[in-house]
Amino acid sequence: MTTSTLAPVAAGTRASERPIAVALAAFLGLGLLFMVGFSPAIAFHNAAHDFRHTQNFPCH
Amino acid sequence: MIIRLLSAALAAGFFAAVVVTGLELTLTSPLIVAAERYEQAEPSHQAARALPIVLAHAGHDHAAPDGAPEWQPGPGLPRMAFTGLATLVGAVGYALLLGAVMLACGREPTPQVALAFAVAGFASVALAPGLGLPPELPGSEAAPLAVRQAWWVMTAAATAMGLYLIVVRRSLIAILGGLVLMIAPHVVGAPQAPEGASGLPAALAAQFAARSLAISFVFWTLLGLGLGRAWQVFGRGTARGTARG
Repeated sequence: MTTSTLAPVAAGTRASERPIAVALAAFLGLGLLFMVGFSPAIAFHNAAHDFRHTQNFPCH
Repeated sequence: MIIRLLSAALAAGFFAAVVVTGLELTLTSPLIVAAERYEQAEPSHQAARALPIVLAHAGHDHAAPDGAPEWQPGPGLPRMAFTGLATLVGAVGYALLLGAVMLACGREPTPQVALAFAVAGFASVALAPGLGLPPELPGSEAAPLAVRQAWWVMTAAATAMGLYLIVVRRSLIAILGGLVLMIAPHVVGAPQAPEGASGLPAALAAQFAARSLAISFVFWTLLGLGLGRAWQVFGRGTARGTARG
């Protein structure tokens, strides 16, 4: 595993879990952000409208 | 570690979203509502603008037949509730990404480290895209949506990558490469709005841009501090368990 060369993270965490945790969190995070920030569905756009404008996601 | 990261991101996202929703509702939502009055004053213009959104992405048939209004939250409380919900979803999403990036860089997400990464996040998704595409009110003139979204995503990704190369890698080549990555999107230039006067008062737009960036900064600061703190809190059980064994 290439990740074993990285600096140790928290004491008491298994290093083999880290790539899975990173991939899972990145996938979920990008999915949520796509839904609220970029999804072209009109309903999503209208629901998240004020959030998109305030957080400077391109809108309209 | 998976449960710990997901729990910490949920907690941090919730914490940041509660505060930031309050700021959005008091500082930016009133400006958006005020701007929509100018937008509605030019109905033909709005229709022309809405069309490319529907056509450019129409994988499914989103195009409502003429005259049928698309769903939107009702004014007042429902709209505020959906703004809060969107803020919560967005905050959890960013918190997950922030955690993933820190772990991928091999850093323990303490509050200090998380705050530093969160400031980099602010620079990547608020400051850098904002240089080319300033936070906009409804009714401002702008280039087509898909082009702006593409530039936004590329700028955010390039800035984040550039910061990583400069701050984490730190070799001469990495620093030069990082600088190029961070500057390139601005040399290419953001998609420009077509010439044309918008009815929107400039003072309103300027106030909105400033408030939007300020809220983003608070958002990221709270997200970083919250994630670092939550990571420590959710890690207590694990750390004690392994210390014994």
